[in-house]
Formats: sequence, C-alpha cells, structure tokens
Amino acid sequence: MINTLLTATAEHILNTILSLEPSVQASLSKVQHQVLAVEVRDWQQTIAVTFTGHSFMVFNNYQEHIDCHISASIDTLSQLKDPSQLTRLIRQGELDLEGNLHLAQAYSQIFSELDIDWAEHLSKYVGDGPAQLLVQQLRQAKQRTKQLDGVLKTTTAGLFQDELKVAIHPLEMAQFKAHTRELKQHAAVLEQRINQLLAR
Amino acid sequence: MKESQQNTTDFGYKTVAREEKASMVADVFHSVAAKYDIMNDLMSFGIHRLWKRQAIACSGVRKGHTVLDLAGGTGDLTAKFSQLVGDTGRVILGDINDSMLKVGRDKLRDLGLVSNIEYVQMNAEALPFPDNSIDVITIAFGLRNVTDKDAALRSMYRILKPGGRLLILEFSKTDSEALSKIYDFYSFNLLPTMGKLVANDSESYRYLAESIRMHPDQETLKGMMETAGFEQTSYQNMTGGIVALHRGFKY
Repeated sequence: MINTLLTATAEHILNTILSLEPSVQASLSKVQHQVLAVEVRDWQQTIAVTFTGHSFMVFNNYQEHIDCHISASIDTLSQLKDPSQLTRLIRQGELDLEGNLHLAQAYSQIFSELDIDWAEHLSKYVGDGPAQLLVQQLRQAKQRTKQLDGVLKTTTAGLFQDELKVAIHPLEMAQFKAHTRELKQHAAVLEQRINQLLAR
Repeated sequence: MKESQQNTTDFGYKTVAREEKASMVADVFHSVAAKYDIMNDLMSFGIHRLWKRQAIACSGVRKGHTVLDLAGGTGDLTAKFSQLVGDTGRVILGDINDSMLKVGRDKLRDLGLVSNIEYVQMNAEALPFPDNSIDVITIAFGLRNVTDKDAALRSMYRILKPGGRLLILEFSKTDSEALSKIYDFYSFNLLPTMGKLVANDSESYRYLAESIRMHPDQETLKGMMETAGFEQTSYQNMTGGIVALHRGFKY
C-alpha cells in the first residue's frame, strides 16, 4: 500500500509538471499509450509510466505488456537526465534496456529540456513585477548558497585536516589504501607459500 | 424449507424476498448518491483510491480496448480507463441505479471526459451485450449488492472476449483478529454515525457494514468464479484482507 501511495504521489508530481510545462505534451505525443517500466535496483521495485495524451499514469506492481523496460540503480537513473548518456550507460553495463529505445529517449529528453517558467505561473497570483523579482531573488539566493556551501566545505576541510588534525587529506587516504592493498597482496603470497610448505 | 431459502436472500443481516432486494439496494443508493464520493473518502480515509489504483494496474487495459465498469457508480475507474483506452477504445459505465449514473455522468463531464464513455443502466445478472464483446470487466464494491451473484458471474463470462478478464474489487474477510475487532467497532459504531452526520442517513451505512459481513470470503468467491467458467483465478488481499481484488480470465 505504501508503494501504491508513493506511485500515486509520483503521478501527481508528473501531472503537475505537465500542467506547468505544456510543451511536455507535444514532446510525448509520439509515444502516447506506450508503457515504460523502470526497475530501480536499489529498491527492487518496478514502476510503470504511461502517457495517455492528457495525463501521466504511474503504477507499481504492473504485470502487463511493457514497451520498454529499463533496469538501473538510482544513481544511474539520475544520469539519464542527459539523453546522450543512455548508450554509454548501456555499454558500461550499468543500465539494462529491453524494448523500444525511442520511448526511453523521449522520456529522458523531456526531463533534460524541462524549463518551467516559474515567474509566468507565479504572476497569476502576485502580478508580473513581484513574480519576476521573486524568481530572480530566489535564483540569486540559490547561487549564493552554492558559493557559500563551497567556501564552507573548503574551510571545514582545512580546519579538520591542517589545524585540528582530526581528519586526513584525501591523498593520505589514497596512500593508505595503496599500502593496505600491498599488504593484502603480501599476506596472500605468504599464505600461498605456507600452504605449499604444509602440503609437502 | 428449501423453497423458502430459494425465494429469500440477504439484505445486510435481514432476510428479504429475492425480488425485493434490488429495489431495497436501489433505495440505499438513491439515498447516498449525492454524497457518495465524499463519504467514500471519509469512511476509508482516502484509501479506496489506492485500492482502485491497484485494480487499474492489474486490469491490463490498453489502447483500443472495450471496458465495462460494472456497478461503476460515480465513475472513479471509468475516468482512468477512458484515458487508457484512448480514442479508439470505449468504456461503458454500467450501474443498476440511475441516481448513481447521473452523478457519475456529471462528474466525468466536468472532468472533460466525454468522447469514449457510454452510460448504460443495467442489471449485472442479465448484461445487455452480445457474447464475446468486452475485453475487460471491472466491478468495484458492487458484487455484494447483486441478488444472484452466480448469475451475474455467468453473465459476465458470457460477454467477455476469449482472453478477456474480470476484476472484482470487494470488501472481504481479514485474517488478523486484532484488525478484525477494530474494523468491527469502526463499521458498526463509527460508520453509521458518520453517515448520519454527513449524509443524514445512518441506515444505509448500517446496511453497508452488514452487507460486507454477509459477502462471501476470498476463497468462496474464487470458487464461485471458477464455477462460472473463469480460469487462472487468483486474488490479492489489500489492507490486511479488508478488501480483496479477484481476477479471472476467459479462454
């Protein structure tokens, strides 16, 4: 039931996106009524999506005919926002695809081209000027937060690694890993030699 | 004695003459039609929407199909099916009760769904369709109100195309004793009170609770479907067995 609730929420979100960005409808017109199933390996769940021409429908536990089946981890799926990555991911074995490739590409494309005009939608409630101002301010705030986040990360890393000396530098970590690997190899060689000696 | 058993049937916990049940059920639904949707949401805390979603996921309805949403009431399933079958398919919303059909028709028209939906007042025991003419039949929370369930199942089997399927979404029996007690308390104490407050009709909601208890359990209904001719019958329990979704195929 929880899964059904989650798919219902996903359907609601997709349909909200559809109402905010009507170009999605045109982009998906060629793949209407075709079913795309996405298997999320981390959750061991398969979610089926279909576009009926007016709205999206999302189902879990869908056992019927599927036009395209994708199986990947959630990290890999997030990379699908860029349609050009699709073939690379299939080649690397990170993504399994069965069925109609164009269907997967069509969905991948709508998310990569998604550009919702928030100011336009907001202007219905607060007017053109304030809506534009608000969206602009939010964009700037997002940019500033990103910058601040970068500075904060560098400062904290510096503080812990150089001043307080409670954390190690990534290079030290890499060196430690290399040493450990070497030690493991030595131990394996030694184990083999002991086994040979015991076998005599 | 045998004759009297054949001439009577259950109406909730009461026993009534067979010919009276249909009109008594009709009275219940005439009474609740206007507040049907809001009461469904209130009574099930909105969970009925999830049960219906699950039924749609299992229906296998595709573009071009002909679907019969029997006892479709206010058209929740029809609304989704209408989109799934597209312009080349059609959905028939069937109900024995004209009040419910009118509420359903108004609701679906308000949603802009008009092109591929037909509204037909019909009795599930004698469906007015030719043999082998329907791809999918669904009956959600309707079968328990039908007087002769076996006749209804036979009638559904007759009109289904070979390869077609029937889905029955209906209240059923829960295995958990604790859940059963809570559910009983809720059904017989809180439900009629809610019915009284919202729809000003406690008797109809008392009938609802009683009729659920009189409805055959999961295995019995599965057996009835098999007797009617359905193959590969199966069911899945939802919300601890409070509701079960039965599925059967015609080959």
